[in-house]
Amino acid sequence: MSQTHPRARVAIVEDDAILREDLARIVLKAPELDIAGLADTLRAGRALLAGGVDVLLIDLALPDGNGVDLIRDARARYPKIKIIVVSIFGDARSVVRAIEAGADGYLLKGASETEAEAAIRSVLEGGAPISPTVASHILARMREQNSGRRLEGDAPLTEKEVAVLTDLAKGFRYKEVARLHGISPHTVADHVKSIYRKLAVNSRSEAVFEAVQAGLIRLND
Amino acid sequence: MFTASPPAQSLRLTWRLAILIVALQIAMSAGLYFVNARTEDIPGRQVSQVLAAQLPTNSYVELPDAAFSFTDIPREECCTPSGTVYRTTLTAQDAAQRYPAILIVSAHDNALAYVDGALIGGVGRADGPPPAMGRRPQLLRIPSELARPGARLDILVQRAVGFGHLRPFHIGGYDQLYPSFLMLRLLRADLPFANAVVGAFVAFFCFCAAPLFGARALLFSLGALATAWVGQHVGLLLTTAPWGANANNGVYLVSFMATLLCAVWFFIEWTSVFAQPRSPRHPLLALALDPWGWRARRWLAYSVGALIAATALFTSWRLSFDPMVGTQDINRVTGLFGIVAMAFCAVRIIIFYARAGFRHPIEASAFVFVIVAAIADIIMVQFFGTYGVFLGAAVAFFPLALLVSLAARARGIFEAATATADKLNGLVALREREIRATLAEIQRRERSEMLVEERSRIMRDMHDGIGGQLIGLILQARSGKLSDHALVGGLEQSLDDLRMVVDSLEQGEGSLTGALGAFRARIEPRCEAADAALVWAIEDVGDTPDIGPDKTLQIYRILQEACTNALKHGAPKRLSVSLQRISPSLVEIALADDGKGFDAAMVSSGRGIANMRTRAQRLGAALDVTSSPNGSRVALTLNA
Repeated sequence: MSQTHPRARVAIVEDDAILREDLARIVLKAPELDIAGLADTLRAGRALLAGGVDVLLIDLALPDGNGVDLIRDARARYPKIKIIVVSIFGDARSVVRAIEAGADGYLLKGASETEAEAAIRSVLEGGAPISPTVASHILARMREQNSGRRLEGDAPLTEKEVAVLTDLAKGFRYKEVARLHGISPHTVADHVKSIYRKLAVNSRSEAVFEAVQAGLIRLND
Repeated sequence: MFTASPPAQSLRLTWRLAILIVALQIAMSAGLYFVNARTEDIPGRQVSQVLAAQLPTNSYVELPDAAFSFTDIPREECCTPSGTVYRTTLTAQDAAQRYPAILIVSAHDNALAYVDGALIGGVGRADGPPPAMGRRPQLLRIPSELARPGARLDILVQRAVGFGHLRPFHIGGYDQLYPSFLMLRLLRADLPFANAVVGAFVAFFCFCAAPLFGARALLFSLGALATAWVGQHVGLLLTTAPWGANANNGVYLVSFMATLLCAVWFFIEWTSVFAQPRSPRHPLLALALDPWGWRARRWLAYSVGALIAATALFTSWRLSFDPMVGTQDINRVTGLFGIVAMAFCAVRIIIFYARAGFRHPIEASAFVFVIVAAIADIIMVQFFGTYGVFLGAAVAFFPLALLVSLAARARGIFEAATATADKLNGLVALREREIRATLAEIQRRERSEMLVEERSRIMRDMHDGIGGQLIGLILQARSGKLSDHALVGGLEQSLDDLRMVVDSLEQGEGSLTGALGAFRARIEPRCEAADAALVWAIEDVGDTPDIGPDKTLQIYRILQEACTNALKHGAPKRLSVSLQRISPSLVEIALADDGKGFDAAMVSSGRGIANMRTRAQRLGAALDVTSSPNGSRVALTLNA
């Protein structure tokens, strides 16, 4: 990070006090990060966002609701915000749901300082962390969509993106995937970000579709 | 099948139709009867007192008045094979007519008219054997040059059958007699002809339709009845049959008998096919009144055929030596049998309809009318020497009534079939709902069983891994033997194990490649900590639907154990994990290192390796452990 850059302001929304403090400690230790505020509920988190936040670290299981709702809100209101989900298991279901809502990456709870810092930095630099589990989950969902219903507005993944995703699901790292495909690790990250974006867009069009189906929204009216 | 009745709401209409048809029949019969009765009141001079003389042959010979004797006609004459001449003289009034004519109402045999020995016309042959009987009325003009007062009018009755009934004839003006002649011809020639056509039509219809319908025997019996009826009319109407007069009489007689037998057959068929089954009663009474079984009806058909054949044989034998007397005898006997047969049919049919609650009035009235008309006609012919007129009217209406009735029955059958189909559809829908409900219940149970199984498996896994590890840590911590570092390490290991369980649940469904992909995150930090490079060589082995979460977890644990062993004992620089398909049904997962290897003895006795073997056995996989000073390799081969 260049010295002229101001420190990124990090908001932490986590209901477990110990984990929250641990995350705060890691953030404070990192020279380029600053704490914007700590919250233990969705409501408090929402209030934090109004104060101007660069990075949101958020747990999904909160006492007053699901973190996914706040992620969706934050993404809609502050398009530039970086959102990182904090998860115990990094299980694909919750991570993919968060990505669909607009999250940029995930962080395992209990990760070491270095790991956590690396993950946050990677997201800040425009990276898109992805686990093999998440990758294969996305692939499986894509197969389901291909065989079943496909929405009008759905952006399909390109061949290259699918190939990258397939190798990521096998457990290969960015660097390894880059070597396998003869591209730079940066391009791999771009592919993953593009996949994430499409997921978020698709999930929104799906939400619209479902809303229309449910009669909540009327088109041409 | 044929037991359905027309619906009640159409019954009133049916009754009205029935009454209309009966009224028409009665009107027609009455008309015909009136015409028949009025034959004696024909205008002109009726001649009933005549001179009669017997001829030696059938050929006309002008006899002197002395050869004649006075007689009244009709007179009962029978059985002489030669002709009879009836003589009267023309009066001044007869001769004064503008167009004098003679109306011969009927001679049962042929009749030729002569005036002063000159033939003026008639039915018969002046120069040879007479043709078949000519019962039809004749209106003959007397040429004006012959019509003089006192002229001799001779009527030669040529014997064909031998009845010799010359009915009183009439002399008058041609135009005066003509309307009577037309009415008589309608009665004696046109109506029988129409009846014959109707019979032929019915016979044709029945024999064509019989193979198409279920009630074949019924239609065959009606067809046979109609055929016999046509045969009877052929005998009556053909004046000059190609097969000769005697044979034509035979045709008439056999057909008469066949008509009666087939009528009995038909009515028994009808009252059996359409009847409801009855409780048993005395066999003779049952035979008379109750529906017959199909076996009995088959024998009835055979019997009718046999009886007709017997009648034919007997008739030809009888007519071969005594045509005249034979014809009359057979005719009389057949007529008497006809009364009995028709009475039987009448009783049977009336009881049949009474039992059904008179739900088929058109059919019932038509049948009863035909039977009663037949009886009346036979009685008229047999006992009163007149012509039968009723059956002609009844037969004209019979096919109409039959068609209307069959249509009503068909409608009843269709409605019953529709109702049955509706009922069946309802039953099917009900059963379908039941089956669906049962199926849903079964699926629900299967799901809950699967859930229970899965739950108990996860609990076993927890107990196996994290549970034991945590208890170990707690016990060690209690005894104060545990350093902070060891505690963190132990807890991290427990969390790792928990994550492995989660990974196995997430990745276990159908993709071994993905499952191993997820596993990398579990071992890479340990390799890094041990300064060993991890070489990842995972091939896409395609779908592996047999490797579920359970097996995935076992594979994870085997690999973890192998990894622990390799890092602990071999101090390798490189550790490689590979997955490849080695045959269409086998995949191999291998973990190899370039460490020092381990003692071969340990391979068999080592605790870790024993654990791995147990797990591999549970998986149904082959575990191959090799070691050399240049490194060791653990390979797991399994069906997938």
